[in-house]
Amino acid sequence: MEDKKKDNGVPSERLMNDGIFVKIKNRLSEKGASVKRKYGDFMAKPPHDKRSMLAEFLLNNAMYILIIGAIIAIAAMRPRFLSPASLINIISLTAAKLPIALGIGGAIVLTGTDISAGRAVGLTACIAASLLQMPNYLNKMFPELPPIPIPLVILAVMAVGALIGAVNGFFVARFKLHPFIVTLSTQLILFGVILLYLQIGDNGGQTLSGLDDSYLSFVTAPLFTVFGIAVPMYVLYSVIITAIMWVIWNKTAFGKNMFAVGANEEAARVSGVNVFRTIVLVFMLAGIMYGITGFIEGARIASIASYTGQNYESDAIAACVIGGVSFVGGTGKIGGIVIGVLLLQIIFVGLNFLSVDQNMLYIIKGLIILLACALDMRKYVAKR
Amino acid sequence: MEGICKSFPGVKALDGAKLTVKAGTVHALMGENGAGKSTLMKCLFGVYEKDAGRILLDGREVSFKNSREALDGGVAMVHQELNQALKLSVGDNLWLGRFPSVGRFVPLTSEKKIRRLTEELFDELGIKIKADTKMSELSVSKRQMVEIAKAVSYGAKIVVFDEPTSSLTAEEAEKLFEIIEMLKRRGCGIIYISHKMAEILRISDEVTVMRDGKHIATRAASELSTDEIIKLMVGRELGGRFPKKRRQPSGAKLEIKSLSGIGGVPKDVSFTLKEGEILGVAGLDGSGRTELLETIFGLSGRASGEIILDGKAVSNRTPRESIRSGFALLTEERRANGIFGILDIKENTTVSSLKKYSRRFLLNESGMRRDTEESIRKMRVKTPSQKTKIRALSGGNQQKVILGRWLLTEPEILLLDEPTRGIDVGAKYEIYELLEELRAAGKSIIAVSSEMEELFGISDRILVMSGGRAAGILETASADQEKIMALAAKYV
Amino acid sequence: MKRFLALILSLVLILGVGGTFSSCGCMEDGEVSVFYYTYSDAYISSVRGEMDKFLSAAGVNFHNYDGGSNQATQTEQVDTAITKGSRLLIVNVVDTGSDDAAKTIVSKAKAAGIPVIFFNRSVSDAVLSSYDKCVFVGTDYEEAGRLQGELIGKHLSSAYSSFDINGDGKISYVMFKGQQGNLEAEARTKYAVEEANKILTAAGKQKLSFYDKANSSGYLVDQDGNWSNAAANNYMKTILSGYSEAGGNMVELVIANNDEMALGALAALEEAGYNKSGKRYIPVFGIDATEAAKSKIASGAMTGTVKQDAAGMAKTISQIASNFLAGKGALDGISSELAASERRVNIPYSVYKKGE
Repeated sequence: MEDKKKDNGVPSERLMNDGIFVKIKNRLSEKGASVKRKYGDFMAKPPHDKRSMLAEFLLNNAMYILIIGAIIAIAAMRPRFLSPASLINIISLTAAKLPIALGIGGAIVLTGTDISAGRAVGLTACIAASLLQMPNYLNKMFPELPPIPIPLVILAVMAVGALIGAVNGFFVARFKLHPFIVTLSTQLILFGVILLYLQIGDNGGQTLSGLDDSYLSFVTAPLFTVFGIAVPMYVLYSVIITAIMWVIWNKTAFGKNMFAVGANEEAARVSGVNVFRTIVLVFMLAGIMYGITGFIEGARIASIASYTGQNYESDAIAACVIGGVSFVGGTGKIGGIVIGVLLLQIIFVGLNFLSVDQNMLYIIKGLIILLACALDMRKYVAKR
Repeated sequence: MEGICKSFPGVKALDGAKLTVKAGTVHALMGENGAGKSTLMKCLFGVYEKDAGRILLDGREVSFKNSREALDGGVAMVHQELNQALKLSVGDNLWLGRFPSVGRFVPLTSEKKIRRLTEELFDELGIKIKADTKMSELSVSKRQMVEIAKAVSYGAKIVVFDEPTSSLTAEEAEKLFEIIEMLKRRGCGIIYISHKMAEILRISDEVTVMRDGKHIATRAASELSTDEIIKLMVGRELGGRFPKKRRQPSGAKLEIKSLSGIGGVPKDVSFTLKEGEILGVAGLDGSGRTELLETIFGLSGRASGEIILDGKAVSNRTPRESIRSGFALLTEERRANGIFGILDIKENTTVSSLKKYSRRFLLNESGMRRDTEESIRKMRVKTPSQKTKIRALSGGNQQKVILGRWLLTEPEILLLDEPTRGIDVGAKYEIYELLEELRAAGKSIIAVSSEMEELFGISDRILVMSGGRAAGILETASADQEKIMALAAKYV
Repeated sequence: MKRFLALILSLVLILGVGGTFSSCGCMEDGEVSVFYYTYSDAYISSVRGEMDKFLSAAGVNFHNYDGGSNQATQTEQVDTAITKGSRLLIVNVVDTGSDDAAKTIVSKAKAAGIPVIFFNRSVSDAVLSSYDKCVFVGTDYEEAGRLQGELIGKHLSSAYSSFDINGDGKISYVMFKGQQGNLEAEARTKYAVEEANKILTAAGKQKLSFYDKANSSGYLVDQDGNWSNAAANNYMKTILSGYSEAGGNMVELVIANNDEMALGALAALEEAGYNKSGKRYIPVFGIDATEAAKSKIASGAMTGTVKQDAAGMAKTISQIASNFLAGKGALDGISSELAASERRVNIPYSVYKKGE
């Protein structure tokens, strides 16, 4: 179908399209056949097995089933929940929280975690905001600073993030410290650095604001509008970052090594994987993600204070776990993380739509994370 | 136990299995991996709930819900993989869950009583281990002794041994047989699961063979020969226990010159490995066999010495360097540092050769799939697909996948540490055949093994280690068990 | 397996209960959304309690949001509330260090065409005048500090020598600041000392001197920005380990930006054997007049506080909210004494001492 439109195109391009098309078609028919086969297998089972298989299926997908049920229930009570404005709100929120979760996901694949993520976002947001204040803003942190091109600022915050990650990774890999302890320490250090940074010049610990319009519009300008509701630019950035991360996780030697180290560090060492480099790189990549989050967050909130980024890691870790990145190590998919972040946002927004008491919100959040972890571990403990 | 049935979704693991153990006898339970031996035992211990059938103990029907209940009911098990609290002391492990208290009304644990009870128990069994030693400081065989002592201390009527000698040296195995003999005299019924024919025939009174979850035969051990048992287990005749040698070793390939490890083991080891040769390595547990391989491979630190491959010294400071210079190491602890359990076969196969598939940043997926397919075929791995997670495979098939992983790196020298541990007879033969093919292709192999038969069956020469040192090298043709034992004791 | 089913069930139950509680009689769209900067602030919680009462009494369908001291969270909550179909925003903005947070909220409200009532945490006139359906209910943010300073000055000069423990002619003090970069915290920190000094100077006494000469800022700040009891308590304990009567350098006066911090410092003093009957009293001053502070003042352990009228604030806000919903003028029925301008309503502070 697609190649008809491209009749006037270069023949080689046509061939390529054909190739991809055939590939996709094959994949789909493969998938279809396997689903059919599975269904056939299932129908052939005696009723007792059928029941237990069904129960297995329901439990293994309980999280998704529960959430689909919740969406239907919320939409039934509050139809506005599925209005374009609301959906775009959910998508934007998801996009804003995705990069940090993608970063932490790597650390979790290594059976670790990264609780310095939120503060790393805070620091990089401070840096991005301070470098991109309006030239004539009264409270400018660096009054003499000429306007800096935005790409340069992005590179700078990525570099700062990578540096933070490198420190985390170095201590984890070199001294075999648990990432929890390492990142707990860097979290504190980073907060100190944030407080010091905010006292540079005449700022005196004040909130950073008066951001340059070019920065604000780079991040928050409408990408396009649907039903008169703008989708912000950072949704696009989030999509690009997700695609890049998917390639890194699935299509590179580094990605494979990351899963190998997470699945069995000793076996990885014996197999010739450079464990040290892999761990450091995973944390550096995570740091880069925090840098990007910091950059986006800077313009998204438009006023950056010392608490910016605080506790961001807890939602990100929860999203990863809900999305099937297991603390057992060695398992996890980018798609799972995206779904995890999305589900978490759906829940939060949905509960707000239902006007659930804020106090209950925290309890429900805790229960959801607990439930997700329990269901996840169920897959790894011996079945009886 | 009679008419035991157990199904898992999609598999009928047990189909009318039965087993009768008489008091005061050793009953061997045999079968290939996947024949249902472990499942049967797990049903006995209540780890699994049986679908049908009865279990009778002294004529009474019993149904244990967990291994704790089984223990209290007089059924104990010495596991293949020991489940012990390694950071605790021997005494703590023995009395875990039933610590003696200081007095009847003082609910505090009495260290003194633990020590005294442990010493009494060990004296009775002739075990020489101190009660306050940390479990992690003991060798695997000694840990097993502790486990057996624990079973005895519960006054068990039935003791199950699951592959008890797989990690023991010949001498330690002797010790174990003595203890089993003693248990027999006490009137215990013993279920003995093992793949080693020689010891089965030696110690057991009766043999039950299982295949595909079914009971095949129960015979007196005196009526059976090794070949007959194998026939019952496999369901067909095997050509021989070991494949024929297809090639004679030629010129020198690898030279190890006074190699010493940082920990003092190995100590000043020198030998030469020929092209197309299989060099067996024998020795007692703790004689430094594993350390020798790990030091050559750069997994353990090297204090001094040279490794010369094809006349050129290689550095081999880290596994990565060793792989690059053409070495491969199949480790002893398959689960601990061999397989990536939750990853699939493709990932397990290609992990050591990812560089080969890297085009700039991205990996050549189709190449990886093709080579994995090739490896599965060559290694005769029995698996539904290359996307199957490796932990779903049997031990023998896992080992073949790891062997396939190493062959992808195109090694010159293969270092194999207990390549057939915990693998059933059929799969063992296949692995021997693979080694023979590799030898025929001009690869050189160093194989550590605790099974004498295996060493005699596959190797050209046997290096005997003792106390971290090389005690001597024997031509296999002229070697016998006594000579090896004599050398093994040289530096002890 | 049963356990997991139980887990799932419990979750469903909670979702269900939450749903039913809230769906009572408010099925139609159009809630009034109330945003608090954090649920963890004692004074704000008392405003919340009063506000819940007044709004319920007025028959308004409302929903509360906890900003958790994080502007990003609050901004997202505003987004969600607007997409949900909110009719009115009542906002206790988190970030008062710059106008941007309030500006963002105003622009969102403007786009949705719904009114905004800011309260308690101050918002600049520039923001208020940018939207005609925007009102601030708060206090004259400098007033609290001034009243506190006045109270301190009068109290000290009544028996100066008894407060000057080491007899060096100067009163050494410690000041606990609630948050860096918060307008109100800045003002309270500044004016409490300034006003007290004015009265002391007029009475011919020396100015107050900060206990730690090395600290030129003249305050200790809650680094987390939470105005918290714990932060002040930690600081005070540390101080008491280095400063004592025996050393002749005892802190002779405690000033805090709010009652929470005053109580935190007081707890540390009491632990060290001060401010109990029969023992020496170090004067402790706070702001807010929370219930806990009032009882401490009644027992004599704490000296005084400045009352911020939580009920009065809640009542005024709910009055304005009703006005907006009924389409009346925003400040209809609000006493002209309170209205500082047509966009700004100030709830007055008053001094609170023992016996009131």
